[in-house]
Amino acid sequence: MPLGNLESLRYFLPELAITTTILLLIVVHVVGKNRRSPAAALLALVGTGTALLFAWMTPAGEGMGLFEGMVVLDGFAVFFKVLTALATAIVIFMSIDCLELADRTQAEYYVFLLSVLLGMFLLSSATDIVMVYLALELVSIPSYLLAGYLKGKASSTEASMKYVVYGATASGVMIYGFSLLYGMTGSTQISEIGRVLTMGTVPLPALLAAVMVTVGFGYKIAAVPFHMWSPDVYEGAPTPVTAFLSVGPKAAGFAILVRFFYTVFASPGDADGMWKLSSSVDWPFLFAVMSAVTMTVGNLIAINQRNVKRLLAYSSIAHAGYMLMGFVMLSTAGLKAILFYLVVYLFMNLGAFYVVVLVENGSRSEDISHFSGLGRRAPLAAVSMAVFLFALTGIPPFSGFIGKVYLFAEVIHQGVYWLVLVAGINSVISLYYYARILKVMFLEDPTHTGELSVAFVPKVMLAILVVPTLLLGIYWEPVIRIAESSVRILTN
Amino acid sequence: MTGPADVIFYVLAALTVGSAIFVATLPNIIYAAVALLFTFCGVAGLYVLVSADFLAATQVLVYVGGILVLIMFAVFLSNRISSVKLSNPVHFRLPAAAICLTLFGVLAYTAISPAFVLKQEITYQPTTARIGELLMTRYLLPFEVASVLLLAALIGAALLSRPDRPDIPRPDMEEPK
Repeated sequence: MPLGNLESLRYFLPELAITTTILLLIVVHVVGKNRRSPAAALLALVGTGTALLFAWMTPAGEGMGLFEGMVVLDGFAVFFKVLTALATAIVIFMSIDCLELADRTQAEYYVFLLSVLLGMFLLSSATDIVMVYLALELVSIPSYLLAGYLKGKASSTEASMKYVVYGATASGVMIYGFSLLYGMTGSTQISEIGRVLTMGTVPLPALLAAVMVTVGFGYKIAAVPFHMWSPDVYEGAPTPVTAFLSVGPKAAGFAILVRFFYTVFASPGDADGMWKLSSSVDWPFLFAVMSAVTMTVGNLIAINQRNVKRLLAYSSIAHAGYMLMGFVMLSTAGLKAILFYLVVYLFMNLGAFYVVVLVENGSRSEDISHFSGLGRRAPLAAVSMAVFLFALTGIPPFSGFIGKVYLFAEVIHQGVYWLVLVAGINSVISLYYYARILKVMFLEDPTHTGELSVAFVPKVMLAILVVPTLLLGIYWEPVIRIAESSVRILTN
Repeated sequence: MTGPADVIFYVLAALTVGSAIFVATLPNIIYAAVALLFTFCGVAGLYVLVSADFLAATQVLVYVGGILVLIMFAVFLSNRISSVKLSNPVHFRLPAAAICLTLFGVLAYTAISPAFVLKQEITYQPTTARIGELLMTRYLLPFEVASVLLLAALIGAALLSRPDRPDIPRPDMEEPK
């Protein structure tokens, strides 16, 4: 039985911490004299850190329904809460270091960032479609504002506008799908919807509902063909926001994608660690095709990009494609591989964007030519970037390799060889454009002379991001164990 | 079989769909906004017909009273909005029509398919008290989350619409591409 509203508050400390911080930020903004003082950033950092600690320490147990069954507290939710809070904390550091944002009012920026964080917390634990929809909007609407935060810069405004139009359409289609599910089952609880669908249903409406819901979730993880917004949004948004959108909401999107489809359209199978379809909707095949197309489109278009931010946007589309491979396997091992990959992806992708922010600070541009000779101008940043790019490619001994090994191994284990083949070819393609940045950084002469000075805090942050990227390539046991136990709770 | 309720239903449906067609096809945006008024009212009527009285009232208050007026204001306040040439040219008429018709077929088939849990008869009871009760009990969390969402949206709207403060330097306009 899910807990009532009052009893649930005890287990809701992370979310309460975030909400309190949001309110405090508004007070700071009103009371404070200097709109650009770093107080807001520090406050946001403390709030995020507190939420992270609370999320980490909450006893997850077997999965406990909270607030009359609106959300659930289980290991899976806790995993994603910690992951997204960590991403937010890193992005806050990145935002402090970003010159582009320095001359803007600070408090609102962090209010939006923390609102998205709250949305991501709720999205990864939602078990009722009303809650799913609200959480998704709570992730989306502040994201639109963050993308357009550089008011007066045309590309930022364009990013925001495109994001709104695509986002509104996607969530409109998604909620149509929800209404079909509600009509078919008479319940808004996803476990109940799943139970009723198991008892047999008319195929076409169920398929239609699955496809429509996929539009909403696919838009959040930026999977092809719902990716059209992402290159423009990623290019136009302030770089820390781009980094944030490519990791945080994407992870939360995967969380709800997995929870929703593995509850509504699949149920634990007879064999250990395997799942079976609970209705006649063959969604794994649809998603397998989507996965292959997503990684191919992302990688092929990335080849031609000269703007590094845009290049990383396409690369993050490709990475969503890799992760979708684990999603279609209907096995605990596949889900475990996604969770592990998300951890690895968090460090390497945020790291790469961190270096972009530093280079951008020096040159006010993300064009690849500004990276030339970075190896000499800022050796630490260049070497870190090399580590992140190698990891993104998936070359041993970097962590990206281990992430891919788990994904590929599970696909091979399930005998879906064509998908592995596509993914393999894609990894090779991605090597080309990642290596191009490396070539520009280390082999070309600097077009801009003078050392690119990197302050102390960014140096420490780069080190903090490099260490896990390297370490998880050599010693990944603890993380994979956490991922495994987080997924196992989903089967109960 | 056909009672007065059915007749009312078809009248309302015709009103809704008919005015929606006008919204989509009228070239003048102000006329389209007026047509939208009838669409919203038609939907409100449909809500009444299925005994969703609170929803119908909300529909009128929020959509007709709020959003539509807002759209009108936006239209009136924007310079030259009626003289702007629409920038989305019509290409691929045939494929688009084919896709739309297919989609319509699928949606229509879904709507009449026996997949849905049907209520045998509608009982006309006031729903407002029950909704209020549910908002304070079962749906308390979504209710509270909605308030955070609205807060963020409000702050965002204020941020986007206010002029840049003098103490904050105006950013350079976009660099040429």
